[in-house]
Amino acid sequence: MARPTSGILRNETSAVSARGRLTLSNVSKNFDGTGVPAIQDITLECQPGEFVVVVGPSGCGKSTLLNIAAGMLKPEKGTAAIDGRLIQGPGPDRAMVFQDHGLFPWLSAAQNVEFGLKMAGFSRADRQQRVAEALRMVHLSRSAGKLVHELSGGMRQRVAIARSLVVDPAVLLMDEPFAALDAQTRTLLHQQLQELWVETKKTILFVTHSVGEAVRLADRIIVMHAHPGKIRAEIDIPLSHPRDIDSRDINDLVHRIRREIEDEVNRVNANLAPEDQWKPKAAGDLVDCSANLGSGI
Amino acid sequence: MLNIRTAFGEPVKPGWPWPTKGNVVGAVASGPLIEALVVSCSRLLIGFAISVLVGVLLGVVIWTIKSVDQLLGPLFLGLQTLPSVCWVPLGILWFGINERGILFVLVMGSVFAIAISLRDGMRTIPPIYRRAGLMLGASGWKQYAYVLLPASLPALATSLRQGFSFAWRSLMGAELILAAQRHGLGFLLEIGRSFADVAQVVAVMMMMVIIGMLADRFIFAPAERRVHQRFGLVVAE
Ligand SMILES: Nc1ncnc2c1ncn2[C@@H]1O[C@H](COP(=O)(O)OP(=O)(O)OP(=O)(O)O)[C@@H](O)[C@H]1O
Ligand SMILES: [Mg+2]
Repeated sequence: MARPTSGILRNETSAVSARGRLTLSNVSKNFDGTGVPAIQDITLECQPGEFVVVVGPSGCGKSTLLNIAAGMLKPEKGTAAIDGRLIQGPGPDRAMVFQDHGLFPWLSAAQNVEFGLKMAGFSRADRQQRVAEALRMVHLSRSAGKLVHELSGGMRQRVAIARSLVVDPAVLLMDEPFAALDAQTRTLLHQQLQELWVETKKTILFVTHSVGEAVRLADRIIVMHAHPGKIRAEIDIPLSHPRDIDSRDINDLVHRIRREIEDEVNRVNANLAPEDQWKPKAAGDLVDCSANLGSGI
Repeated sequence: MLNIRTAFGEPVKPGWPWPTKGNVVGAVASGPLIEALVVSCSRLLIGFAISVLVGVLLGVVIWTIKSVDQLLGPLFLGLQTLPSVCWVPLGILWFGINERGILFVLVMGSVFAIAISLRDGMRTIPPIYRRAGLMLGASGWKQYAYVLLPASLPALATSLRQGFSFAWRSLMGAELILAAQRHGLGFLLEIGRSFADVAQVVAVMMMMVIIGMLADRFIFAPAERRVHQRFGLVVAE
């Protein structure tokens, strides 16, 4: 893949330097102030260039976690920091890709990608070059002039990814970005995201409720559990990128991790009141994706 | 018996006088009517511009500041339902029978409709736009200029379209009653009545309808449609 790149989307400062270290220390968030906190005592460090995937059932606080990292939410307790600097609010060093893309419908695909550069005051020529490069990376050069509603769901997510990447963030935060897509499109985007990540070496914190998606993408999987949202397990995935998503290795790993998670859930459930117990099978959580991974979701 | 009299002092006999086609065409093409048209349209331009400026400002303020909305929102809603001719007495008392009195009625008759409909439209702006903007560095005035303003375009288009019809109606009502120095279409209607000139009455009414229709059909409706299409809010035929 020897592409003529100008390098603008690369982590230029990081010749193995520490750009993109995301540190959450003992972070808790309780929305109503009483009752069960959304997340409790979460400690998590993403290394520069690491691909971390958080898996957990609906309502376990994954989005809350990401929003704290993004600076959209303030934690009650604990701290969030990026490269040693405390996170005070949203900023282009931590770009977020939302589940429902959040693209601006009044702008074209290219103008959406350009938006962050415009806010940062880049010159017009500079902007054009970077936008073209970002659109190339998500394979959308030909759709640059299309309006948001003229793009397919998968294309919208790719524009959203390009829009986040183009501002050269240290960390990419992704909140179930592919959850609303059909299986084929999701597989395609998994491959493209891996290529992108190999090419740009961004730190990625990715949230999903699908174990299959997590195993395909992650260096490290963080398993969360709800009520309160806590980290229950961490699993390293020692496979190189980009991964062949249909391989036996991945398939086996998915099944193994699913078992591990179920064991973990059972262990946790044993200590909980019945109404608070999480039954992934019954809820369809975490199981859906792995069940049909072999057929190449 | 109704005690209405024509300008000649004869009591109006409420019959069913019908204008002849030739009379109406003649009235439409007549000098005073064209003049009145120009007068009304110039008033409309000035008044509607004021109305838009103030209405948009009020709409944005009550949308942004919740406490102000709680205070003024219901009041605006009430004032919006007030028929605009009800502003005429106040307009006369405060400004007199002149241009300013007429503009006052026009503005009061349309400004609240614009404010309320803009606020309601802006309430439907998905919060994710703001969050996406913040993430990409659009905070403070940049948030207003590059995110909230464009995001509110569909709401703005709808509220201006609505505001225009309110403005036009208010203006006609005001002109009908307030006999200011320059004669607008509304006043011609009144003259037509007082001279029992059915052809003129019908001609003026037709003119009013046509102006309203043309403005909506060639300015406001297309603008609204284009914005909605761009946002993917309607399926283009
Ligand atoms: N703004 C809010 N106000 C009050 N409670 C909230 C708010 N946002 C989230 N919560 C609560 O916090 C908990 C975690 O929510 P969160 O959105 O982080 O879950 P999630 O893991 O992202 O779920 P999903 O997979 O469905 O997106 C939930 O119980 C939710 O009800
Ligand atoms: Mg979520």
